[in-house]
Formats: sequence, structure tokens, C-alpha cells
Amino acid sequence: MAASARERILEATYGCVARYGISKTTVEDVAREARLSRATVYRHFPGGKDDLMAETIRWETGRFFIRLAEAVAHADGLAELLEEALMFAHRAVAEHEVLQRILQTEPDLLLPQLSVDSDRVLGWIRTFVQAGVERHGVPAGVDGAEAADYLSRMVLSFISAQGRWDLTDRAQVRELVRTELLAGLEPG
Amino acid sequence: MSQVSVVLVPAPVEKQGNGKRGVEQRGNEKRGVEQRVIEGALRCICRWGVAKTSLDDVAREAGCSRATVYRLFPGAKAGLMEAVARTEIARFFAGIGERLEQAESLEDALVVGMAEAGCRLLDHKPLQYLLVNEPEAVLPRLAFAEMEQVLRVASTFAAPYLARWLAPDDALRAAEWAARLVISYSITPAPGTAIDDEGSVRALVRSFVLPGLTNRNLPK
Repeated sequence: MAASARERILEATYGCVARYGISKTTVEDVAREARLSRATVYRHFPGGKDDLMAETIRWETGRFFIRLAEAVAHADGLAELLEEALMFAHRAVAEHEVLQRILQTEPDLLLPQLSVDSDRVLGWIRTFVQAGVERHGVPAGVDGAEAADYLSRMVLSFISAQGRWDLTDRAQVRELVRTELLAGLEPG
Repeated sequence: MSQVSVVLVPAPVEKQGNGKRGVEQRGNEKRGVEQRVIEGALRCICRWGVAKTSLDDVAREAGCSRATVYRLFPGAKAGLMEAVARTEIARFFAGIGERLEQAESLEDALVVGMAEAGCRLLDHKPLQYLLVNEPEAVLPRLAFAEMEQVLRVASTFAAPYLARWLAPDDALRAAEWAARLVISYSITPAPGTAIDDEGSVRALVRSFVLPGLTNRNLPK
């Protein structure tokens, strides 16, 4: 039951943030939304509001990457996996209403937390990239784990900013994957 | 630094005024005091971060009056912190530019440019203090819209150096690519790659970057 109460609180916090924003959401609001007592909220999140926000951002980020992993699960080969990942993530960020609103109104309350978690986020991306790299294989002299780490960093960097590329354009994404992601992984 | 927006654009090199001698001397003195105040502010940031640094602290550190700090930096603390960021960013790019100018091949340019940038970021004490103790002062500048801006500035800066070996478009692309890697490996270190070490960066560049810039047998 503990896990489900925790989940309910995170879900409720997310709902409150969607409605009121980060700074205006109180522990009281969250308890009401989750239909739990304040004491129960504090039992699960002893640090109060800061704790709730950090964990909710982490939780929603986790859900984002679970959706991403699902979206690329059917991909045939590493190139397609990376193309799908870049396009899906770019679209999902652009269409994530709560994220976009917070980026407009309260970026300083969100972004430090996202960046502090970048190690964990890289880990999530690596889990599905690694499997693709293993199936794809790497040329002699290149370490598979290092290649997966490199690719995961590039994917994360492009999720944050597309730079000179248009990640809604399939042809451009294909070109990007071919040149900047996979050129070094072609055997011989 | 939530109230301070750091402008990530290299400051233009200030031209020495060629007016009368007296004016020039006063100008130099003013720049000297400005520089002292900026250095003082950097020392304060190393000790307390941005939020907890007051103009009093900076004045004391620089050995001048608070009034002088106000006069030199309109916009009070926010204005001063912006000037500090501008100065440090200009210094950062100038240092990398010097190394890039001397590079003799595309590989060397990428390697020394990235490693120099990595060194300058990892050895920058005020920046490192902030990353640990006050990440909200720095990290929002490296995500989403602000990250786009950083990539634009960095690639516009570095592309002309790389254009000695690459077509203009490829030079811009390569410069942005290098900037992404420097940011990623310096903010989230990798166990196997030290972004401030030329040997380590060379391995990275050879494995993953050069093939995408020079290899004509790219994957279909």
C-alpha cells in the first residue's frame, strides 16, 4: 500500500503543479488533491514541499523516458532506434503542456532539478541505447559501453536543444543520425 | 541568480580611446577599478555564491567604496553580475581562440578547442562553486531555449576556425557538435572520458566525431 499512496501523492502534486504552478502549490493542496491527510503526505515526503517537488519532477521525468523507451521498442536496428528516439522526444517535449508552461513561467524552479538529475537521465537513455548498440555491434577499437554513453549524451543534448537541426524533419534526423551519431560505429 | 539574466554573448573587445592623454589615462584608471571590482566579485562568488554576495562584500574585496561599485556598474548587483559573466565568457572564448589559431589540422583544432574549453570550465573556481552549491545560478542557462542560445554563440565563435578545413556549413555543424560534447562531458562527467585532457578528447574525437566529418563511406 505504501507504494500506491506515494504514487497517489506524486500524481496529485503533478496535478497541482499543472493547475497552479510550482511556487503556488502547497502541501495542503497536494493532500486535498490526493485525498490524504497532511500527516500522511509528510510521512512519505519528510522534506515537505521541496521534497515533493524534487520527487515529482523526477517521477514525471522517469515517466517521460518510459514513454520514450516504449516508443522506440519496435525500432529495427540502431539507426532507426535513434531516429525514433530523437523525433519522439523532441515532439514530446514540445507537446508537454505542463513542461512548456513551467519553462515559460518558473524555469528557475524546474531546470536546476532537471540538470542535477542529468546523470540519472543519462542512465535511463543508456538502458535502451545499450541494447541497440549490442545488437548493432561496434568496430574494432571502440568500446561498446563508451559508444552507448556517447550516443546517450548526444540524444540528451538534442532533447534539450535541437540547434541547427530540425528534429521534426525525418530526412534531417536521418542525416543527423548517419553523420553525428553513427559514423564512428560503422564496421571498417 | 534568478533575478539576474546572464547574457551569454562574448563582449566585444574594447577599443582603446585615442582621445587626449588625460582622458585616456582616466579611462584606463576606470577600467583598472572595474577590473578590480570584477575580480573581487569572482572571489566573493568562490566563497559565498551569487545569492549571498552583497555589493558591500564586493566593494570591501576590491578595496573601493560601495558608491564606486554603483557608479561603475549601473543596475546594482544584477548589473555587476552580468558584467562578471560577460567578462568571464569573453576570457573563455579568447583563451580558446588562441589555441584554435595555432591548430594545424582539423583533428587538432577539435581536440585542443574542446580540451581547452573543458579545462577552462572545470578549473573555473567560481563556476565550480556554483555548480555544487548554487546550481540554479548556472544550470538553467544550459537547458532548452538558453541552451539553443549557448550553442548558437559557441558555434558562431568556433566555426571560422574550423572553416580552414571544412565547408562553411560543415564548420558550423562541427562547431555546434563540439560545443554539445564539451557541455555534456563537463556538466556530467563520464568515467572513461576526461574532457579537460587532450589524450582523452583525442580518443573521443577519433572514435565518434572525425568519421562523421571526413569519412566518405558513411552508413547509408
